[in-house]
Amino acid sequence: MKRFFAIIESPYLRALLIGFIVLSFQTTLFNTLRPFSVVMQVMLLCSAASGVAAGSESGAIAGFMFGFMYDMVLTSPFGLSALVFGFAGYMAGGVNTFAYSPRWWFKMLSVGISSFAAVLIYPAASLVVGVDGLLQTRVIGVAVTVGLFNAAFALPAVFMMRWALVKSKKQLLWAE
Amino acid sequence: MYSFTRRRLIVVLLLTSVLLLTLDRSESGLVGGVKDAFGVVFRPVESFANVISRPLSNVWRGVVDYSDMRKENLALKDLLVKQEGAAIAATASVREAQELLALNGLPTLAGIDSVTAQVVGQSPSNFTQTFELNRGKSSGIRVGMTVTNGAGLVGKITGVTLERSVVMLATDPQYAMSVKVGACTRPNTTTTAVPSSSTTLAPSGPSTGDTMAPGDGSTTPVLTVPPTTTSTTSTTTTTTVLQRATTTTIKGFTPFATTLPPVPGGGFASQITVPETGVLLPRETGAMEGQGIDRLPVIRFIQTSARLGELCAGVPVVTAGGSQSLAPADLVVGTVARVITRSGTSGPLLEVELAANLQSLNFVRVLLYQPATEIPQ
Repeated sequence: MKRFFAIIESPYLRALLIGFIVLSFQTTLFNTLRPFSVVMQVMLLCSAASGVAAGSESGAIAGFMFGFMYDMVLTSPFGLSALVFGFAGYMAGGVNTFAYSPRWWFKMLSVGISSFAAVLIYPAASLVVGVDGLLQTRVIGVAVTVGLFNAAFALPAVFMMRWALVKSKKQLLWAE
Repeated sequence: MYSFTRRRLIVVLLLTSVLLLTLDRSESGLVGGVKDAFGVVFRPVESFANVISRPLSNVWRGVVDYSDMRKENLALKDLLVKQEGAAIAATASVREAQELLALNGLPTLAGIDSVTAQVVGQSPSNFTQTFELNRGKSSGIRVGMTVTNGAGLVGKITGVTLERSVVMLATDPQYAMSVKVGACTRPNTTTTAVPSSSTTLAPSGPSTGDTMAPGDGSTTPVLTVPPTTTSTTSTTTTTTVLQRATTTTIKGFTPFATTLPPVPGGGFASQITVPETGVLLPRETGAMEGQGIDRLPVIRFIQTSARLGELCAGVPVVTAGGSQSLAPADLVVGTVARVITRSGTSGPLLEVELAANLQSLNFVRVLLYQPATEIPQ
């Protein structure tokens, strides 16, 4: 029984469940809300927020998981979103470590920058795997919009991912 | 628990991604199977999220799109009234054309079964342009089949599960299709000098060698209809004069005369000039490729030639067909929006305005025609 609870208390299982719910809103609500004709990337937001909340390594793993789930509903090359989102999580964690005790605005900046970079990298990576035609000037506008949106919603996302990935002292005591 | 170092973690994630990409690009059934299984689990969750988020989506649409919708609705009502008459005439013409094709044993679109499906989802990506349909393998849909709507070509099926299928739009950069495009003016034809002793059925008015004005919807003289015979009793000569009818022409479709080759050993009656019969202009085949969101597809590999004549905007574009083509022949794609001339031997680029409005798709028709190139070996 204790082992069962340990499994369901696993950080990555929590992240998986969060990813599942967020993905369902990504394909429905956020698919409809398209400011400036750009689809908001909440899966990418969660990936970057994971890095800020739990560090580069956890961010990379969580980002990879979210990207993998996103790939399941896309027709783009399978594994590409996993790669790029994993990078976003890792980068966000890395940027966040530049500050000793990052303030709220620095967390927003980390998420925004890594999201911006991930959107730019995606078409470039797709070109590498043989899917051309995505690398256009429009990508810059998309990257800026996604970066700003993700920065704006970074704090609640970081809070959510901290709940999922970082065990509280109470949980650690209970596990012992 | 084993703790990964940073470097090991990055290497493992990178290798896993490469492995997944390799599996996907090698088109193994594994990726499709995993996606299908995920879809089975995910679809109920998505439906639930859809129910919850619909009010918010409707509010957003109401705020952002309301005024545009009103304007569009009024414009569409006007358009509908105009189109009703044209549609009846067009239906009659299409039926006639299909009968003619059937009489000659040629394939027609009418002979291809189709499935009507509803668009139930759109790609959440900013890069791919795909739609999800509520029909799948159980309705006979397979990868590669062509999707159309009432107006024209929409795209092709790129993924199928039991009850769902994914359509790649014709504007997606990955989409390519062979199409036919005609010239706006007829090419220069030589007027045949007919010996005075031969029987000539010649239309009155300008000679057939005249250059016609670009098809701009104006009225130009075309097909001749029932002949009026004018006989002069005082002489032995009977001249048959074909009366010219005036009708509205469609861009890219202008009549010209056909001159039959001389009959071998035919003596003095060497040539017969057949009157104008509204024959289609010669058409050139090119490759249409999508250019991404907010950009029109372009046609490449069209070579301007004396035979083809001049290329211009407004000319209809239809699918080329053929055993290797992704779509059956003569499916309406759209019209040429712009001709971009290029220097050298690269030939012009033609931007295509698609007949189908891809921004507001609801019901579409999937032609149950699987191209030879898409049939699994």
